[in-house]
Amino acid sequence: MVELVPSLLRQELANLAEDDRRIDGRSQWQSRDIKLEVDCLYNGDGSAKVTLGDTIVYAGVKFEVRTPWPDRPNEGSLMCGAELRPIAGRKYEPGPPSPESIELGRVVDRGIRESGCIDLQSLCIIPGEKVYGVMIDIHVLSDGGNIFDASALAAIAALRTTTVPASTFDIGDDHPLQVSKAPMMCSFTRVGGRYVLDANEQEELGGNERIHITLGDDGHLHSLQKGLKGVFTPAEFAEILDVAQLRCTELRDMVSAKEAN
Amino acid sequence: MNGAAEGAEQRLVTPGEVIGTSLDKSAGIGVLSQGEGMIATRLGWVRENNDTISVDPINSRYTPRSGDLVIGVIEAVRNNLWFADVLGPFNGLLPMSLAPWKVEFGAARQFMDVGDVILARVQEVDESHSVVLTMKGVGLRKLKEGIMSSIPMNLVSKLKGENDENLRALSTASDCRVIVGENGRIWIDGDSTGIDLVRKAIDLVNKEGHKNTFQQSLSDMIGNTPGGAE
Amino acid sequence: MGGYGDVKLLNDDGTRLDGRAIDEMRPLTAEVGILPAADGSAIVTHGLNVAIAAVYGPVEAHPRKIQRQDRAVVDVRYNMAPFSTSDRIRPGYNRRSREISKVTAEALESVVLVERFPRAKISVEIEILAAEAGTRCAGITAASLALADAGIPMRDMVVGVASGKIDNIVVLDLDKAEDNYGQADLPVGILPTTGEIAFLQMDGDLSPEEYNTCMEYNFKAAKEIHQIMIDALKAKYDGGA
Repeated sequence: MVELVPSLLRQELANLAEDDRRIDGRSQWQSRDIKLEVDCLYNGDGSAKVTLGDTIVYAGVKFEVRTPWPDRPNEGSLMCGAELRPIAGRKYEPGPPSPESIELGRVVDRGIRESGCIDLQSLCIIPGEKVYGVMIDIHVLSDGGNIFDASALAAIAALRTTTVPASTFDIGDDHPLQVSKAPMMCSFTRVGGRYVLDANEQEELGGNERIHITLGDDGHLHSLQKGLKGVFTPAEFAEILDVAQLRCTELRDMVSAKEAN
Repeated sequence: MNGAAEGAEQRLVTPGEVIGTSLDKSAGIGVLSQGEGMIATRLGWVRENNDTISVDPINSRYTPRSGDLVIGVIEAVRNNLWFADVLGPFNGLLPMSLAPWKVEFGAARQFMDVGDVILARVQEVDESHSVVLTMKGVGLRKLKEGIMSSIPMNLVSKLKGENDENLRALSTASDCRVIVGENGRIWIDGDSTGIDLVRKAIDLVNKEGHKNTFQQSLSDMIGNTPGGAE
Repeated sequence: MGGYGDVKLLNDDGTRLDGRAIDEMRPLTAEVGILPAADGSAIVTHGLNVAIAAVYGPVEAHPRKIQRQDRAVVDVRYNMAPFSTSDRIRPGYNRRSREISKVTAEALESVVLVERFPRAKISVEIEILAAEAGTRCAGITAASLALADAGIPMRDMVVGVASGKIDNIVVLDLDKAEDNYGQADLPVGILPTTGEIAFLQMDGDLSPEEYNTCMEYNFKAAKEIHQIMIDALKAKYDGGA
């Protein structure tokens, strides 16, 4: 469903930006409050729930045992998918996966995969015969803006608290999944002409393009994505990358604190 | 909702709850007469007026009624009419003949386009719930400046207050023009400090509008503003 | 119902494997208004089941061909999240979900005052986040709460509850092991005020007498659950006027 953008909203967002203000009173690079819960789904081998303002996202990790791809006999696999079902908001329609949900799943997937946080060879059980497939499913329950950051955080937090259910497959004892890094995503949306961090629903409605940046522990870039209609300059990117570095470190600390518990 | 007697014990009921007998009362809004019983059909507060018993809903979508002042957003334009979203189940239809301008056939878009915000009245609602809007009338117009916000429509009377007292106090305190549509949309125009105050009041209605402490909290908020009236 | 006979489901003292009495249900909790994006929402946990429901509408029914000139359509989608079961469920088309969605929609249409909203659609989304036998009942209960939270007029709520048979004994509210190895399961949707039944399914093997006992247990449990639902709805608006 195409959303209706009231002309007054665009006008208001532009006026606010001129005064360096935001519609909910935050500053330009300020995020909404985040609540992170891990190990919160009974049947998930790993799970997390992220509440980011009015956005609520669950991620669940499941394992399967399968035969490896012929060209990679020593490697297991990792797959991350997202579902944007009609429960998430008025604009989501039933049916086959929408381009939006596929984009969401793939952008989160790339950030995790390319960071190398999971050694795919460690998922091999018997070379050429049996490997683990790890599947991360993202389920958006309420879209109150910036589902990308909420989804990416839920996915990595779930992974980092996952137990490999080896005993279920008669492969030995259950053990924690080795996740050596913590890639984090940070998203920016152009609202009233400038970029802001963590846009809410109204800012997304009356805003333009968005940029998603996933950074590794060492500050390296692992996944980038520009979505929606609009363009940006190299100088603008340099500025948001600096903000992303700081923000991703904060997010990483938040996940570490949860793991320690 | 203004009928809620001060200090009286208010009864919150759930759908299906038996709230009285049909022997002495007739069923009002939110109440179904079933056999000898009266059954609440919504979550809400029981209200008894003379010989009618009804339930004021705690949450509900806007149902357009003829004569309502509403704030709409143009959703589609045809040669001779506009469709506006008024937060009801169905779009309102604004024919060229009920616009405040003399519009030539095919030129509707030159006057209003998708996304434009209008202050209109519900002209008529037919049996199949089709809604016709009009912009002919004092003050009805396209809203070109200002900001738009919203509250659940069942809290509209709470925000306005008895005889619009809250609304007047809020306008004075904020030095803003404030229009509250029956459909829950609110239009505010003024300087940024004033708009912030009205926004705060709207947040308060959204969070606490259903509580019996709301009126006091709102009065405190408006009163505490420097230069605020009342 | 799976094969039975070789798995013992009752202890020697007559209690069940998880320690419950035969007419005891698993603990149930409910909360409403949990999803900011929806017009109404609820979460129900029943034992280890977690069901979340959201309501959107009434809005104009699209496409036109699904519109009814005399009433609203209630459009239910029951869906199990991929991570809700021990083996991951592939997202997408699923015959079981389609069937449950259909009969749940018909149950809810029996209580919602659909004639108040001609040509409209009321969408009910049920998402199962954790499944441990009894998800359709938890889903119905959650959906009723979400409809009430959304202010949709209805003449009663529908309470989802099930009884069944294990080791030749009728028991209330089967858990996963009992569902897998038991002999019968009878999930129903009960209108607590009128005592009518809006949802009914059954599989397995029950004598007419056993059916009656199941129903007796179901009605007793429905009363308990109904009270929890009322408390949940009232809790949200505590301190109201």
